[in-house]
Amino acid sequence: MATANLPTSHEHIRPWTPPTFWSIAWKALRRKPSRMLGLGILVFYVLMAVFGPMFYPANLPTNPANIYASPSWTHPLGTDFEGTDVLALIVTGSRYVLYSAGLAAFFTVGIGAILGLVSGYFRGWPEAIIMRIADFFLTVPGFPLLVVLSTVWNFGNPVSMGLVLGLTGWAALARAVRSQTLSLRERSFVEAARGLGLSRRQIVFGEVFPNTAPYVAMHFLLAITGSIYLEVGLFFLGVVPFSTNNWGVMLNLAFSQAGAMYSTRALPYLLSPLFCIMSLTFGIVLFLGAVDEVLNPRLRSV
Amino acid sequence: MGADLKVIGNADQDAQVECQIRDLTVIFTTDSGDFPALNHVNLDIIKNKITAIVGESGSGKSTLGLAILNGVAFPGKVTEGSVEFAEHGNVLKLRGKALRHFRGPVVGTVFQASQNAMNPLARVGKQILDLGRSHHYKDPRKLLHEAENLARRMAMDPSRVLTAYPHQLSGGMRQRMGIIMALVLKPKVLLLDEPTTALDLLTQSAVLEIIRSIHRERHLTTILITHDMGVVAEVSDYIVVMYAGRVVEQGSTHDTLRDPRHPYTRAILRAIPRLTGDLNRARPLEGSPPDLTQIPATGCVFRSRCSYRAPQCDLVAPLLESVDTGHFVACHQEGLIRD
Amino acid sequence: MIEVRKLEKVYPPVVGGLLSHNEVRALRGVSLSISDGGALSIIGESGCGKTTFGRILAGLESYSGGDIAMDGVALNSLPNNERQPYFRRIQLIHQDPYTALNPSHTILHAMAVPLRIQAKLQKKNDDWILNRSKELLAMVGLDPVGTLYKYPHALSGGQRQRVVIARALTVDPKILVADEAVSMIDVSMRLSILNLLSDLRVRLRIGIVFITHDVAAARYIAKDGELCVLYRGEVVEYGQTDEIIVRPVHPYTQAMLSAMPVLRGLEEAGPDRYIPLEGMDDFEGQGSGCLFAPRCRHATARCQEQHPDLVPWDDRLSSSSHHHACFYPIPRNVVARPINRENAL
Repeated sequence: MATANLPTSHEHIRPWTPPTFWSIAWKALRRKPSRMLGLGILVFYVLMAVFGPMFYPANLPTNPANIYASPSWTHPLGTDFEGTDVLALIVTGSRYVLYSAGLAAFFTVGIGAILGLVSGYFRGWPEAIIMRIADFFLTVPGFPLLVVLSTVWNFGNPVSMGLVLGLTGWAALARAVRSQTLSLRERSFVEAARGLGLSRRQIVFGEVFPNTAPYVAMHFLLAITGSIYLEVGLFFLGVVPFSTNNWGVMLNLAFSQAGAMYSTRALPYLLSPLFCIMSLTFGIVLFLGAVDEVLNPRLRSV
Repeated sequence: MGADLKVIGNADQDAQVECQIRDLTVIFTTDSGDFPALNHVNLDIIKNKITAIVGESGSGKSTLGLAILNGVAFPGKVTEGSVEFAEHGNVLKLRGKALRHFRGPVVGTVFQASQNAMNPLARVGKQILDLGRSHHYKDPRKLLHEAENLARRMAMDPSRVLTAYPHQLSGGMRQRMGIIMALVLKPKVLLLDEPTTALDLLTQSAVLEIIRSIHRERHLTTILITHDMGVVAEVSDYIVVMYAGRVVEQGSTHDTLRDPRHPYTRAILRAIPRLTGDLNRARPLEGSPPDLTQIPATGCVFRSRCSYRAPQCDLVAPLLESVDTGHFVACHQEGLIRD
Repeated sequence: MIEVRKLEKVYPPVVGGLLSHNEVRALRGVSLSISDGGALSIIGESGCGKTTFGRILAGLESYSGGDIAMDGVALNSLPNNERQPYFRRIQLIHQDPYTALNPSHTILHAMAVPLRIQAKLQKKNDDWILNRSKELLAMVGLDPVGTLYKYPHALSGGQRQRVVIARALTVDPKILVADEAVSMIDVSMRLSILNLLSDLRVRLRIGIVFITHDVAAARYIAKDGELCVLYRGEVVEYGQTDEIIVRPVHPYTQAMLSAMPVLRGLEEAGPDRYIPLEGMDDFEGQGSGCLFAPRCRHATARCQEQHPDLVPWDDRLSSSSHHHACFYPIPRNVVARPINRENAL
């Protein structure tokens, strides 16, 4: 502290180019090793979901002679009640889980953010209507609602699953975004934007929305994990017909067919999907901090 | 830098010192490094007088106020120095119960936003009683009586303001209530942190008048923290000018305003528009107020905005030195500034 | 030239809840005019309607009565959607430079969005937007290259206020309404912002309406303009700035001027300076009398009953523009005088 002669801000002003989004993101990730670990886990699962199924045949081979095999070199995670490789089941099942959870989070955040912004900025009757509907979804327990819904609609395919989870899950985000918008619309920059002649669309989506973006992005990631829990839960209970293999189906079969609760030989079969869900959640939680920093300019420079 | 320590004398030969601040350094820790919010501050608060601590944002005046109450909190940390109160010793050593009984009964504090310093859900009178209870005040009726007297002194109807909730009072009334709450416990020292900043000019002048008249009556040692030279000039006996965590000039208010010796004090006085006189005399001060993260570690902290800058100013931090009886300035070029 | 005629604003009563209040008359027939490149300072304490006046001028709030005319066009005669372009030429500079800029966007974005609207109207391309942004930032005294890609939090309060002013200039305003525009800025930076506003007056012939409770700043901006004193939505005194300051006749103006701190050592207080403590909380006037009567120490029975109108102050020494609303106009010398010294700053 005694030797450094720091220049003051007025003495050196050099022209500079703005950092790109990617350089900011990379800097934010590098600041904490835990964020890199989170990103690594996420990338690992996304690659698994996108490319993994290509290495396996459409119908995985069964082998009645080798059921409930212990982990080995040929079957790193053992085999299931039909003698199918558990690793193969995990890899092929990941695509459904991630795809539908991603869609569900997309719908949740899309619906929630737009309705929250609209009700918070315009107030009046749009707010009254949207918030009453949101209250309905918040007070009716979500999971039982999905179970009831599954009796009238088979939403087993990933797009339908994402849509259903999105339509039932937006309310909490809408309420949070609305309350943020209520406070943001009173700031003078919103008033200044009105005075400068910006359109309502520009003000709501161009000025107000970016201030809620860090929260919305974090909600997106958390919605992914929430959706995974819900869909896996639905499959585990067996209320949604099994159309494809996925982690939820695995848990269900491990429980109902293999009796994993009563015997230890099916333990790898039961624990593998559980571990995947846990580690994916863990990765997302570790990654969250970086998202906040990237989207929130105030956190960046210091 | 620790060797800079030097004892500050007083203007008044027989003035007593209520609070002696020596070598006080407060460091703020952030992700990008440690920054000194206060850098080896030496100061005497004279008993029974009003001392004003004046500075802009980043000057460290609020941190100094907190340090006097031993209230510096994370990310700030007192790394060096002492705040010695007569009869109470080094305040920075006080902990727990001893500290609680220092804040309030010994030093009464009025904060800038008194509306936020009050509980919005309780009537003002009840909050005063709670205050007495938490300091084991024996006679609650006497306490209320005192509050009523003070309210009348401040041109408020006690029966109305003491039964009101904070939101039912105007900003000026809340600020006066804040002063009452600081005074009911009969402290030895009154600490006013930006007491008029959020107020209108008319309300400000009334509050200043109240501060003056209370002081005339009780001779409380008063520490006034403000950014407003006008407020300083209206009420204070002594002035301490701070810049970037350092005391740059101190002395009696009258002498210092009449004949400021530090380039910063001179520049700031010249940068205030006045109601009468030649407006063309007003000169803006170039540059920005200090940013805590960019205060140079060596040399004078004001040099980047100073028109008297010399090579020496880049290398050595000037010490606070006496230029007149009780008038101290930290500037290498002080001798050149006189004409 | 903008003329405001008998402007009225009434806020409807709010019933129930913590913030319930009766009907509030924020403006009671305010008439003022601002010439191109002129300067008008409006002073008054909080709640006097000065902020409402500025917001109505900038088109951010509706008015309940009266009319605004811009260059002879009465805005009342226009349909709603045609008024907006007129109001856009009156830009409001907010008090708080910390909330006036969107924290999520760079300065370039703040400048480019309103400029894009202009570019569309004037058929200009993207290069024009960038160049105009730089030009305007340079005009308000900022380093364009160093500022463009910064976020607001990286700038000081004074720099932010300069950006806010530059942003207001994107729409080629006729008038800037500065509502307490320097009160949240550090003391050392205030004067340079005031100088910037004065500079824009001269260079771009932009009229400045300066709204404040700081009479000295009001004087600095409107040194060659007019000063208007508002009390509870009414103009109580109006005239050339220095004339009002040196010879105020309305007791409220005298109270405002008395309240300015005196820099002891440099100045001495005016002989008639008076700081009232009593009555400072009596805002509710009763009946038909002068609104200031409950707080006025010169008030008589007549003041309680009759309402004084704004009339010219006919005195040999004053100019024709000096108006006041008091039954007993007596000039009093309340402001501080500089002490003459050889060594003056």
